Amino acid sequence: MATKRPPFWQREKYTPFLLLLPAILTLLFVVLLPLLFSLYTSFTGYRLIRPESLWQWVGFRNYQRIFADGDFWTAFGRTIIFLTIALNLEFLFGLGIALLINKITWGQRTLRTIMMFPMMFSPILVGYQFKFVFNDNIGILNNALQSLGLSDGAIPWLVDKYLANFSIIFAEVWMSTSVFAILLLAGLFAMPRDPLEAAKVDGCNPWQVFRHITLPFLMPFVFIAMTIRSLDVARAYDIVDVMTGGGPAGRTELLWTLIARTGYDNARMGQANAMAYVSILLSIAFTYYFFTKLLAARKYMGGAE
Amino acid sequence: MMNGKLRKQIGAIATWVLTFILMVIICVPGLWVVLTAFRPNGEVLAKPPVWIPENPSLNNFAKIFGFGADQVAIPVPAYFANSLIIALTSTAIALLIGMSGGYAFARYRFRFKNGLFLGLMLSRTVPGIALSLPIFMIWSRIGLIDAKLGLIIVYVALNVPFTIWLIDGFFRQIPKEMSEAAQVDGCTRWQAFWKIEFPLAKSGIASAGIFAFLTSWNEYALASNLTRSTDSKTLPVGLMDFTAQFTIDWAGMSAMAVIIIIPALILTFLVQKHLIAGLTFGGVKG
Amino acid sequence: MAEITLNNVIKRYGKVEVVHGIDLDIAHNEFVVLVGPSGCGKSTTLRMIAGLEDISDGTVSIGPGVVNDLPPRKRNISMVFQNYALYPHMSVRENLGFGLKIAKQDEATITARVNEAADILGLDELLERTPAELSGGQRQRVAMGRAIVRHPEAFLFDEPLSNLDAKLRVQMRTEIKKLHQKVKTTVVYVTHDQVEAMTLADRIVVMKDGHIEQVGTPMEVFNHPVNTFVASFIGSPPMNLLPATIRGTEVVFTDGKSLPVPTRLADRVRDGQEVIFGLRPDDLTPVGHGIAESGDSARLTLDVVLSEPLGTETILYTSIAGLEAQGKMFGPRDVTPGETLEFDIAMDRAHLFDAATGNSVRSD
Repeated sequence: MATKRPPFWQREKYTPFLLLLPAILTLLFVVLLPLLFSLYTSFTGYRLIRPESLWQWVGFRNYQRIFADGDFWTAFGRTIIFLTIALNLEFLFGLGIALLINKITWGQRTLRTIMMFPMMFSPILVGYQFKFVFNDNIGILNNALQSLGLSDGAIPWLVDKYLANFSIIFAEVWMSTSVFAILLLAGLFAMPRDPLEAAKVDGCNPWQVFRHITLPFLMPFVFIAMTIRSLDVARAYDIVDVMTGGGPAGRTELLWTLIARTGYDNARMGQANAMAYVSILLSIAFTYYFFTKLLAARKYMGGAE
Repeated sequence: MMNGKLRKQIGAIATWVLTFILMVIICVPGLWVVLTAFRPNGEVLAKPPVWIPENPSLNNFAKIFGFGADQVAIPVPAYFANSLIIALTSTAIALLIGMSGGYAFARYRFRFKNGLFLGLMLSRTVPGIALSLPIFMIWSRIGLIDAKLGLIIVYVALNVPFTIWLIDGFFRQIPKEMSEAAQVDGCTRWQAFWKIEFPLAKSGIASAGIFAFLTSWNEYALASNLTRSTDSKTLPVGLMDFTAQFTIDWAGMSAMAVIIIIPALILTFLVQKHLIAGLTFGGVKG
Repeated sequence: MAEITLNNVIKRYGKVEVVHGIDLDIAHNEFVVLVGPSGCGKSTTLRMIAGLEDISDGTVSIGPGVVNDLPPRKRNISMVFQNYALYPHMSVRENLGFGLKIAKQDEATITARVNEAADILGLDELLERTPAELSGGQRQRVAMGRAIVRHPEAFLFDEPLSNLDAKLRVQMRTEIKKLHQKVKTTVVYVTHDQVEAMTLADRIVVMKDGHIEQVGTPMEVFNHPVNTFVASFIGSPPMNLLPATIRGTEVVFTDGKSLPVPTRLADRVRDGQEVIFGLRPDDLTPVGHGIAESGDSARLTLDVVLSEPLGTETILYTSIAGLEAQGKMFGPRDVTPGETLEFDIAMDRAHLFDAATGNSVRSD
């Protein structure tokens, strides 16, 4: 019996690619091509005010220049420290909050919802909110400290070198801890009871149960949270831009604010693109690291689903 | 015996105290902004501070929306409209693309599947500010700077990876046999999708949509560099208009912040349950 | 009229071949069960008949025509899935009527057919409920109802009872058999449970590693297994399989004990042949505790290691040539472990398999 083969777009083999085509095209045109363009630009001396400089090939000069630039390395180092501190704090606080809320039976749903709000706030709002809270003159923090008699002067939260960085990390942690808390709480809910009970019967104390049963089970959830977080670490740009604008005098400059300043304010697009590439590689490295961790943890947990 | 009971009580009290502190830290900064939105500017600057507004009023809102005498120079209604149009349009498009892609990942086995998925996710890791540079250069050449369309296109691309991740998770929660049963029952694959799988994944897809909406609604790094005027400026960018002035209008800024927060609060409330399910399912079960 | 014919059907996933050329003719109204261990290709074969998997090579025909390139909806079959796959957002009535609605039948026909199916399966009370409100057995029945309303040419069942508890499984098994007697249709049924296969099938297809091992009626497969795999897979407790060597007219076990070669197989074996001696527990019974006298019997004296009383019979664990062997005691009395008993061996029901190929010497 003769059978007609259906046209190729109806064949099962090509369907998934057809379905993914819009997504692939979108990302190709809005992300990949622009990035190739900016890669090219990072090898030119392009300045916004001199359009013809787009064709001025300078080789690795932009990279050499930024790698020789103390400000760049300061911002780079600060960004790494900022991320390390913020992510670790978010993980620890998130874990603590998840364990805390897991214990509470009454009003748990409400607490969970409230906990999610910071995650949904616009980073720009979080920044504004803490600019307001930490304002040395009218901020609620200084007002409260003064009313309680804990401090008589105005503490320069956003001006002092250390305090300003602390304030920024505080805002970042405030905004993103809930990513960890929510996901770890979901992990705790999904946790099977049997291994916990088996461990208790086997004579483990609560700390040992947590260390050897609960924590390993939570690890995939930790890595999901880390992966999600590493997707948007650069949201911190918004916060810093509102709170301090990288200032005062570059004391809170992160890689991302430095890129914006170099590219838009100083109009040195070529150099800004070179820095942007460093920041992209940084983000990809973070994401890739946690994603592979996630895959490994998932394999490890495979037996327990 | 007594000791155990006492320890339990201490534990319970500690739990409540910690929860209370936690809630204070989460809620007070936002609450302070909300309270400020209802104060006259003089009260904001008062020393000693006025904790509870003495003359709460809606003046600040009237002001930023251009009613009354002392309206501000910042065209909040236009920004609001821009934000709404840009967020809604980009969400709708991202959802269509995301549904199609998420379904492919959930239901088909194909070559390069893992690589493609990783590629999509990595495209999302590009920091907004880094992506804004080349897009700024390209958009300014093709006239998409300071145009709603320009921002819509960017936000679609920004939302597609995550939408695919979430929707993939929701479709995978529906047993494959549902669609197979429908096909045996006489449906085409297309019919089986719309009559069986889509209705079952609907609430999940809706929450992916809400998440995409909020991402667009909240975005700042790209918007602040790709927009110029009331033609396309969104609310987060508009908020910064206040800081450009010589003295910061804290009360007006707070009122505007409240306007940005409200949709986020409502939508978060609607979406929270599904969002957690979608993230963990897609992530843990691979 | 719906015969189903599989002609050298092959399934490959990429380069891995999982079904290696299945040939099978299923007659109109026949109840055929595909049985085998997991991973033997039985479900894949069924899904190729349904059209849910592409056929890599060979042809599948349902009725007069080859259906290889027809989508499931055009094959006029219905299928019951292991997890039932009821549509959770529809009531039982809508679930049952869904296929007819898609086929654009008018309301009256749908109602009539749904009621008819509900009647047959005793679902009348449940029609307005949703699947979530049903018990496992009820869901199972709705899944079957959804299959019968469309009056298909064939029913396909994919391990439909494996999600039920033991008691319900037995009950639903009977219902499926009754249903087949009421609604005469061709049935292809996949299971890994040999009891289900034995009780339901007109014909059993035993599969392993993507091949058909044997096709036959339940009694044929039980009484005349073609090889050691079928012999051990069908029947519970499984057949005892003991390596031995033919020495003249004797079957000699590894410890030197021997039995005479079964009379009917005497001219099929050659001296020195390595064989596997197969004996069902039912045919290894203490003297005086067998089912029926055997025309060709032999005796062995064996120590009982363990006994499991089941009421009407007791299973005796003993050992022959160092290997565990199970026997049965009908009309049992108490047996103490370590007791030595004289066993009757029904040699006319014993099997010999070639040790090298595993094939029954009878079927060579």
